Amino acid sequence: MSRRDDDLDVIRSAREARGPVLRKSPGATAWFDVRGRGTGHWAFSLNRFTALGLTFYLYLHLAVLSMLLGGESAWHGFLELATTPVFLGLDVLLLFGLLFHGLNGLRVALIGTGIAVDHQKALFWSLMIIGAILLLGATLHIVGSG
Amino acid sequence: MAAHAPTEPVDDHRSRRWKVTTYSGVALLVLVTVHMVAHHFVVDEIGGLRTYAQVLDYIANPVILVIECTFLIVVTIHAMAGLRSVLLDFGLSERMKRLVSRGVVILGAVTIAYGLALIGVLASRA
Repeated sequence: MSRRDDDLDVIRSAREARGPVLRKSPGATAWFDVRGRGTGHWAFSLNRFTALGLTFYLYLHLAVLSMLLGGESAWHGFLELATTPVFLGLDVLLLFGLLFHGLNGLRVALIGTGIAVDHQKALFWSLMIIGAILLLGATLHIVGSG
Repeated sequence: MAAHAPTEPVDDHRSRRWKVTTYSGVALLVLVTVHMVAHHFVVDEIGGLRTYAQVLDYIANPVILVIECTFLIVVTIHAMAGLRSVLLDFGLSERMKRLVSRGVVILGAVTIAYGLALIGVLASRA
């Protein structure tokens, strides 16, 4: 087993402990690599990807809302662009990121406070099923409005 | 830096940061839901986007104004805490860790100030 594998095992076992714990750094790229990893590593990596995506979106959203400062004509121009099928598809991607990050974050918070520690996997998949149902409903709403 | 066992009790600063990230995350579950439903899913316009006049009407409601300002502050705190956590995963030196910590505080403060100013300008037009 490589040193990287050892480090990741330590990180994973740390995550099973209750409350905040000191964790070893996984290094610059370890959490990008999900090949051959279990559900926990996939969830952690996807949580990080969605976190970075949502942080980027926060600033994109502020930039878009700044168009409102330009008055009605500037905002109307943006609305025409934002209601194209490509942008509506990106809305669905955004909702996926929000739902995954939010529901997985809820799991992490519950585990961290000592709730359902022994049922992490069942909790994860239960929340993901709820997320998938919500995403399906929201997608139908978005597509239906397009 | 001394190595720590993964389950060693954490110091007050780390515990506080964990609580900030967790509590702001839980608050966001409520705030994001309110924001998405109230701002996008109850609008009949294409794509759930409000027209300029509808946005001003929306922000003119004092309850909505407070919710949106709270949402902006909480989401920025959560994002900056998360960004710091991601950057610290890269095994930075103590000096760089301090720089990152200060950097995310400054970036967060600027983000909140700009967002509140934006909301304020729009509310003044309502």
